[in-house]
Amino acid sequence: MTWQTPLFLLVAGAAFGYSGYRFSILVRLMKAHQGKVSPFEEIGARIATAIANVLGQKAVLKKNPIGIAHTMIFWGFLVITIGTLEQFVSTLYEPANFEFIGQTAYMGLMFLQDIFTAFVLFGVGYACYRRFIIRPEGVGKSRDANIVLAFTASLMVAIFLMNGFHILGRDPFYQNAMPFSHAIAKMLGALNFSESTNLALGTFFKWVHMFIVLGFAVYIPSSKHLHIVAAGPNTFLRTLPREKAMKPINFEDESVTQYGAAKVTDLGWKDALDYYSCTECGRCQDLCPAHNTQKPLTPKMLIIDLKENLYRNKQAVLNQKYDEVTPIIDENVTEDVIWACTSCRACEIACPVFIGHTDKIYDIRRNLVMMESKFPAEVQTVFKNMETNASPWAFAASDRANWAQDLSIKTMAEAEADKTNLDVLLWVGCAGSYDDRNKKVLRAFASILKKAGLKFAILGNEEQCTGDPARRIGNEYLYQTLAKTNIETLNRYNVKKIVTACPHCFNTIKNEYKDFGGNYEVFHHSQFIARLISEGKIKPSKSFDETVTFHDSCYLGRWNNVYEEPRAVIASLPSTRMVEMKSNHDQSMCCGAGGGRMWMEEKIGKRINIARVEQALETKAGVVASSCPFCMTMLTDGVKSKDMQDKVRVLDIAELIDQSTSR
Amino acid sequence: MAKVLVVAEHRDGRLKKSTFELIGASSAAGNETHAVLLGDGVADLAKELGTYGAGKVHVAQGPALKFYTAEAYSKVVSDLAKSLGSEIVLASHTPTGRDFMPRVAAKLGVGLASDCTQLAFEGSSIKVRRPIYSGKATAEVEFVGAGPRLATVRPNALGAPKADASKAAEVINITPDVGTLKTKVLEVVKGQSARPDVTEASIVISGGRSLKSAENFKLLEDLADTVGAAVGASRAAVDAGFRPHRDQVGQTGKVVSPSLYMAFGISGAIQHLAGMRTSKTIVAINTDAEAPIFQLADYGVVGDLFALVPLIKEEFKKIKEH
Repeated sequence: MTWQTPLFLLVAGAAFGYSGYRFSILVRLMKAHQGKVSPFEEIGARIATAIANVLGQKAVLKKNPIGIAHTMIFWGFLVITIGTLEQFVSTLYEPANFEFIGQTAYMGLMFLQDIFTAFVLFGVGYACYRRFIIRPEGVGKSRDANIVLAFTASLMVAIFLMNGFHILGRDPFYQNAMPFSHAIAKMLGALNFSESTNLALGTFFKWVHMFIVLGFAVYIPSSKHLHIVAAGPNTFLRTLPREKAMKPINFEDESVTQYGAAKVTDLGWKDALDYYSCTECGRCQDLCPAHNTQKPLTPKMLIIDLKENLYRNKQAVLNQKYDEVTPIIDENVTEDVIWACTSCRACEIACPVFIGHTDKIYDIRRNLVMMESKFPAEVQTVFKNMETNASPWAFAASDRANWAQDLSIKTMAEAEADKTNLDVLLWVGCAGSYDDRNKKVLRAFASILKKAGLKFAILGNEEQCTGDPARRIGNEYLYQTLAKTNIETLNRYNVKKIVTACPHCFNTIKNEYKDFGGNYEVFHHSQFIARLISEGKIKPSKSFDETVTFHDSCYLGRWNNVYEEPRAVIASLPSTRMVEMKSNHDQSMCCGAGGGRMWMEEKIGKRINIARVEQALETKAGVVASSCPFCMTMLTDGVKSKDMQDKVRVLDIAELIDQSTSR
Repeated sequence: MAKVLVVAEHRDGRLKKSTFELIGASSAAGNETHAVLLGDGVADLAKELGTYGAGKVHVAQGPALKFYTAEAYSKVVSDLAKSLGSEIVLASHTPTGRDFMPRVAAKLGVGLASDCTQLAFEGSSIKVRRPIYSGKATAEVEFVGAGPRLATVRPNALGAPKADASKAAEVINITPDVGTLKTKVLEVVKGQSARPDVTEASIVISGGRSLKSAENFKLLEDLADTVGAAVGASRAAVDAGFRPHRDQVGQTGKVVSPSLYMAFGISGAIQHLAGMRTSKTIVAINTDAEAPIFQLADYGVVGDLFALVPLIKEEFKKIKEH
């Protein structure tokens, strides 16, 4: 035992003690959340995703070169931590080094550590270059990030200096296993220090390294670097399937006195873990259509603001004095922030630590709508229409089937009466029923179904809005009213298979009706048409000599992972050329109509549909293909406002196929 | 025959047409029709009320009434209704009427039928009809219990009577007691337009993106001024910055239901149709014969609006001269 032992005990004890105390507060803050958290099932899949994304850095590596830099730093730290552990242990009790693993293995360990120290330094070097020279907008300025980079870089420098002086002082000291440290030792040799000075400097830099590690331990709980502790568990606890449903509220439960989240503590503990995991990398906002058109919402700031709200209310939360917790809506998270979201889910797809942004926004909206009655004025009309006419637009429920009047399409009631064996139910949706532009899409799709010889029916006037707009806006009660009525109707006819041309209806019926007893096999018309083509039931034969670009609907793509079928449909058109916009597939940009935004005014910043149409126009395509009635409206409006309607047509994939096929 | 009190509404020194509708309907039914004018420096308006059939006009003036406030109006109107023993109190279903009439009803402890489209005077009482379920059905409402019957009537629902210059009203100046007001209006900051609001006008002339610029809307404004119409716009025209948002007709703008709606260069996206499809007569002018607006229109012209607007304006002028 040397003087080092008591000193280390004292310093490390204080540092770990204080750090532990700070971590315990974070855990208590998390546990004090009152919102319900759904149980975490499928442990096997969770372990697999944690291995792939933590050890394998899969999601991080989606963006490069920074992903590679992060992977180098991450793996470097895993390896170097073994050395740091050895440092700690041997400082306490010198013989307790790791040499017991055998000379060769120990040399291998030293070699790895040396190489990874260089990797980390290189990674940090790139990170600094990116942060200070390239300066991506999403990264922004952050004192915290600068401190973390300084911490990390100085740790590596301390390791190299420690090893360098040790090599000089203790020669021989595994220098052949440490190429980088050896090179540094050669440079340090030029200083011509005595052996004992070199040894003392080696010990000095060991202490420098240990002090920085201990300082880091104290610093981490209040830093974005907290992700090194939280991101792993958060990855394990992530929402597994791409197709996720919004959490239902049980309105039968009379003990519930509040709907949605008014305060941070109304959210669940998993939400707090989300904030702890956030690295402020900005990938979420890089793709956010709201942020990219100057709306006040950025998913990154939303998470940071919620975290800061939680920290600001620390005392009240820890003492469980929930009355004293200040509201979520404040000068940072304004109502405009919450209403700007199109629920396109680009943020969640981009997030390397699997933060769920949309559920938080939905919960906050639910509170604004159902508890505070605060929502954009124009939404009142939408709710009223859905309540009285079961459609967001003010059209009579009795006119719902008018689009099909001359098409001799059976209603379910008629099909049941004459005992027709149906292949599929065609779910029309409100846009297909009432919007003249989208009626044409439905007529084209019905014509395709007929050409394929399929027996299908519609619900006719028995169909109601799925409730999706109400749900996304936050009116869960109205949603459930409509959803339950529809499920009752569908189940009464014993419907098994449904096809719809609306991705919003598709998502709702497929993923969200399950919670209310509606289990059906649901297809989007792109999937259905692709299958009819591949089965040879329809054959696009008429040449369509055009360049076509396809716009991904968020609720088809990001919410349901359907990217290839609509493209396959377009590719089946004779002599058609396909081009992609610069944002496509899961990196696609929303048209601006999701999350109920279809029925809201867009008063702040540039219009999202214009920004998207500009991307479409850049491709010089003559046809913008859509597979969603809302996208259709937004893109058509965008093309018109760019005065390009004479050169660029917006067409649904069903229309493209219908004009190219004959009976 | 009933004792009717009509609350006159005015703005910028001019009485609103909807007030004449109420007075006309009441006096035509042979009622003892009183009108009350509230304001400061509004005595000159009393005479005009007489020409539409008001027997007596009570003029309540004072600095506290210079600007409209729900507090002062409801106090003065309820006091006057009590002292006159009015059996029926009518106001227009305008933002003002919707604001103060419920308070009058509360002060008097009686019922109020709002947004009425038909009135039937029956002795000292009335029966009214009011649309329900977005106009898909009409409810007939009668009053129960004692006390004055209160109703607000939708503008343009009754039809304005012709003024008769030979008729004159007895003008009675009253000293209003507004009590202690909790609020005071310091100033009214106006929007720019002198034309009627799209939701109140009986004729609305709307334009779309095809007008190509804010300046070209001048064409529609001139046309509107010949017939006292309001100028509306489609969402596309508003988005393009041709018109302010308050003029926007549609799902996310104003919902209008005028006697005549003229759509110039509006294709008729669902968003727009949702805001004007209940108009009595719809005229559409568009270059695209396939435009969905023609499905809804009673009269349609496939043609260039820039050529047609001046012609229509000339025709409007001729009709007005007759």
